[in-house]
Amino acid sequence: MIGNDIVDLVLAKKESNWRRKGFLNKIFTPKEQLLISNGVNPEVMVWNLWSRKEAAYKIYNRETKIRAYIPLQLECYYGNENFGTVSCNGNMYFTQTVITDEFIHSIAVLKKEYLNAIKTLDYNDKISKTNGIPFIIDERTKNIKPVSISHHGRFWEGVTLFNQSINK
Amino acid sequence: MNKEQTIEQLKTIVKPYIQNQEAFDVLTEDTDFINDLKINSANLVDVILDIEEKFDIIIDNVSMERMVNVKSAMDIIETKLSEK
Repeated sequence: MIGNDIVDLVLAKKESNWRRKGFLNKIFTPKEQLLISNGVNPEVMVWNLWSRKEAAYKIYNRETKIRAYIPLQLECYYGNENFGTVSCNGNMYFTQTVITDEFIHSIAVLKKEYLNAIKTLDYNDKISKTNGIPFIIDERTKNIKPVSISHHGRFWEGVTLFNQSINK
Repeated sequence: MNKEQTIEQLKTIVKPYIQNQEAFDVLTEDTDFINDLKINSANLVDVILDIEEKFDIIIDNVSMERMVNVKSAMDIIETKLSEK
């Protein structure tokens, strides 16, 4: 299982005023808000943490079938700007984040070593959906591989895991 | 405030954030904010804050968890208004 989330930083600036009163309180825990206020670039920290939560939520939602708006229950343990974990109701997800001037992209997986098995999809991959959850069929084994797709503004990212056994 | 008035006010609130006009035009209680109206999940916070301001209520964290569709939003607004 895998989850990802991409934030187009230019679009995010236009769409969201994260400095709005009450905004951070609704979606970030006190510890996370401290990371934001102490951060060298608070805006990048906002979207870094947010994309981690969104990526982790995609796994949580698919595994538990629970659909809810629970940003405060998805708590980030920062680690460093590229690696950390997100916990949610006793579940733990490992996250990897890429930060550029244009976008922030986070991927969440269930075990740390799976971060070494990430395969990026492209437009040629034939992606299907059941109940809104995307997957691809592995050409060699004909097995179903869960994928995660994120689209925001100028950016599209699809990811899956190499190894079939860890897609479960 | 009756149901029609609440839903009209809610429509005014969500309108700036929607990315699917067709779904908005046929909005019902079953309309989902994210799946149908394609509201960005980060903008759902703005919807919640706008509801708080417009109705002068506070949406606590437990209520916020349910804020994924029109029906839940209406329930929460009605409940919070009745507690005032």
